[in-house]
Amino acid sequence: MTVSPVGRDIDRVDGRSKVTGTARYSADYPASNLAHAYLVTSTIGRGSIRTMDTTAAQNAPGVVGVYSPANPLGLRLVPGIGEQYAPLEDTQIRFRGQIIAMVVAESSRQARDAAGLISPTYDEQPPRTSLADEPRVPAAGPPGHPPSALVLAPGVASIEAALAASDVVVEASFHQPMQHAVAMEPHAVLAEWNSDHTQLTLYSGAQLPHTAALGAAIRLGVPPTAVRLITPYVGGAFGSRVIPWYDAPLAAAAARQLNRPVRLVLAREQVFTVVGHRSAVNQTIKLGASRGGVLNAVSHVSDASMPFVGYRQMQPAVDTSAVLYKTPNLHFDQRHVMLDVPPTCAMRAPNEAPGAFALETAMDELAVATGIDPVELRQRNYATVVPGTGLRWSSKHLDDCYRVGVRRFGWSARRAEPRSRVDGQWLVGMGMATAIYPGNRIPDPVQVRVRLRDDDTAVVSSATADTGTGGLTMLAITGAHGLGVPLRRVKSELGDTNLPPGAPAVGSMATASTVPAVEAAVNAAVAELIKVAVTDPRSPWQGANSEDLTYENGHLRGRGISMSFGRLLTTVGRPSVEATAAAQPGPEATQYEFHSFGAHFCEVRVNRYTGEPRVTRFTTVVDVGRVVNAQAVRSQIVGGVIFGIGHALLEDNPLELDTGRLAASNMADYMVPVNADIPAIDVHWLDRPDSVLNSLGARGAGELGTVGSAAAVGNAIYNATGTRIRSLPITLDKLL
Amino acid sequence: MNPSENADDSRPGVSRRSVLGGGAAVAVAVPLLVTGAGAEAAPVAEVASADLVPIKVEVNGKPVSVRVDPRTTLLDTLREELELTGTKKGCDRGQCGACTVHVDGRRVLSCLTLAATVDEREVTTIEGLARGDRLHPMQQAFIERDGLQCGFCTPGQIMSAVGMVHEGHANSDDEIRERMSGNICRCSCYPFIVDAIRDAQKVMR
Ligand code: FES
Ligand code: FES
Repeated sequence: MTVSPVGRDIDRVDGRSKVTGTARYSADYPASNLAHAYLVTSTIGRGSIRTMDTTAAQNAPGVVGVYSPANPLGLRLVPGIGEQYAPLEDTQIRFRGQIIAMVVAESSRQARDAAGLISPTYDEQPPRTSLADEPRVPAAGPPGHPPSALVLAPGVASIEAALAASDVVVEASFHQPMQHAVAMEPHAVLAEWNSDHTQLTLYSGAQLPHTAALGAAIRLGVPPTAVRLITPYVGGAFGSRVIPWYDAPLAAAAARQLNRPVRLVLAREQVFTVVGHRSAVNQTIKLGASRGGVLNAVSHVSDASMPFVGYRQMQPAVDTSAVLYKTPNLHFDQRHVMLDVPPTCAMRAPNEAPGAFALETAMDELAVATGIDPVELRQRNYATVVPGTGLRWSSKHLDDCYRVGVRRFGWSARRAEPRSRVDGQWLVGMGMATAIYPGNRIPDPVQVRVRLRDDDTAVVSSATADTGTGGLTMLAITGAHGLGVPLRRVKSELGDTNLPPGAPAVGSMATASTVPAVEAAVNAAVAELIKVAVTDPRSPWQGANSEDLTYENGHLRGRGISMSFGRLLTTVGRPSVEATAAAQPGPEATQYEFHSFGAHFCEVRVNRYTGEPRVTRFTTVVDVGRVVNAQAVRSQIVGGVIFGIGHALLEDNPLELDTGRLAASNMADYMVPVNADIPAIDVHWLDRPDSVLNSLGARGAGELGTVGSAAAVGNAIYNATGTRIRSLPITLDKLL
Repeated sequence: MNPSENADDSRPGVSRRSVLGGGAAVAVAVPLLVTGAGAEAAPVAEVASADLVPIKVEVNGKPVSVRVDPRTTLLDTLREELELTGTKKGCDRGQCGACTVHVDGRRVLSCLTLAATVDEREVTTIEGLARGDRLHPMQQAFIERDGLQCGFCTPGQIMSAVGMVHEGHANSDDEIRERMSGNICRCSCYPFIVDAIRDAQKVMR
């Protein structure tokens, strides 16, 4: 009997290649006769190019091609997806840091040197950059997600009336700056065509391999089948590799013209503008409650920056205030402010992290205003159905997250009065917040292929991506589980569009969406195996009814005979059998609400003299359904929490209003947490399967930890200091 | 930095060919105003081979002779000349630690090290850490403690960690955190990196 690896601590199956340096990321692929590309980006925020002298670049050593608006590459934009402009195709400047030229040379250094010789002149216009002053526009909202909503109890005239009728009202406005994914691997691509330019191979990091290939194909004007994208190793993504940017199409178009492979690696500073960021957002929350802390009204209004070039609309209320607490009166309105800034994109918990920072800070303020313990306050407003719709959750154990978290963290030692714990120079405080993130499966079919081989090994393949999430290991684990064979006998493959289209590594949906497809593919492969068993003349079961055979733990049994699949395949002389199967959600997808939940507890120390805030303890308890790989989930939750600590204390990219320049364009100015910023983090999961979502009951965990963790830090800082900071990041100057 | 920000517009002797027209007609006028850009084969001035610096360096225990442009970094030389792509470029300016290698046993940032300066020295990269199939204890510990997710920072983390242990500066978790803070991990594996180093240094002693 093989013990299932599901839920255990499983080392990454690609760990060895990652610790030995043999894992190849996009910039690591070799090619013969390789040329190297380097981008030039605009240095004004809005206007047009008047002149661009490329002579010196063309004459520079090693240069083989200079592409500019004078010599463009004929790229097309993809309506509705990604940025709504095509670089080099006109002279318009839409944001500072836009691609305006590309140099290709024999070596990367020559390309970079030559790019520095290109000196455009501009006709400038003042960029529109002020989130506070530019006009607000209602968001369009994705299908099924209206940008605004109003739910009123019978007889209540307006949300204002509901608030006015409440005993206690908390109103607070929040600001969160632009944030960047800063994946450690700068965006990179190697583009290589076959000799007659009918087939393109792209080596480029992607969260959705097939979508990235499709996007590149459309931009290049070639059929989607002409593009193969290979992305087995991705050096982090966090949303920055959801949609394809222009790096791959530019490199591919140049490679086609030059008739040789081209590699383009973005310089770190270029990643800050060529690749999208998370919108800056201003939010106002109004909470009306009884003196006992029971919510009567929740209002959440957001103004998020939206670039004129596109592409992502932020919706911070829809999966936070709209679903988290029970309230008879609910209003949210998610608006946009159009600006001349680089494109936006999803970033880890794209809506939920900013939304929860605002809501969960406001809830802490309500706890202060009512004198109720923050955990108790949340329990008094616990939602068992979604406000307004009455839908029930597929599985919700948030109350247990609070209960377990309180115990593990030692919450009872907290004193409600700020500044009441002092340790030498340090003011010590504790805070908490709730985490919530959608627990959906992707609506589209997800395909997985299972191949059974004559050496008793199996291969599970699907063109999903592993951006560090552990997706490759998850495929192997779920394959071994389904087949009932030891994990070491299962190989997994992903990150290649030659494989069946798999789950996108976005929205924490990859695991939940892949699990049912693996199960279906296992069943289909076993059916193929049985077909061989009952038809092949060399099989001992030839002529038997399929129903007489059963598959269990790698063996077929029937008529008193048992044989491993490898043995059967060897006997009949076939190297393998395989099957590809698809799975997609059924009617349950609309009958229930699906979320993962969690509770964060944080201790901070704030220096009395310098204002320096330090996170010293953190406990997070999550309800993510059944855990497939304990090790990966722990890493994901911890990583998510650390993202939240970064948002709370460090991450900021101020926009210079006059020029549209982002102040931070490197990893020293845009600060992300380093090792010394982070204490040990205690993560615990409840492990209650969500049997409505899929057979294993597994929900995703990649983004949940980022939701609410910044609020937990801020609430702890309030408890330590008595100072409430509603504008992130909470830097020491704000605490003095 | 964007190279064009530092470009000298008024460099003497460069004949400026305005490839683009000005004014309101710019957007439509572009295709008409091509003045040879990209259309002609520019004469390519090769880097004079006399300007290249010959260096002899032992890389992962093997002697290597290579001629390098004096402006080339050790990182680019490893990755592009010697095809040792295990060492990563995360920032190219000394801010992230992804490019950490050992020079004569000390950890250095290879993006801030000119290749010409490692003449007659020993360089160890992530590819040179394991002994055949046997992983270095630090590599093993990173796998077991899950001190990695995407793996892109991992070669730098491991080289830095090994260097730190040899420096004798891994005596407490706080010391490890402080002395590993030049190595950014955006996947945020920090607590597990500390666990891995604590484990590995016991074996390394
Ligand atoms: S690449 Fe050298 S420190 Fe970042
Ligand atoms: S493992 Fe991804 S950056 Fe460290």
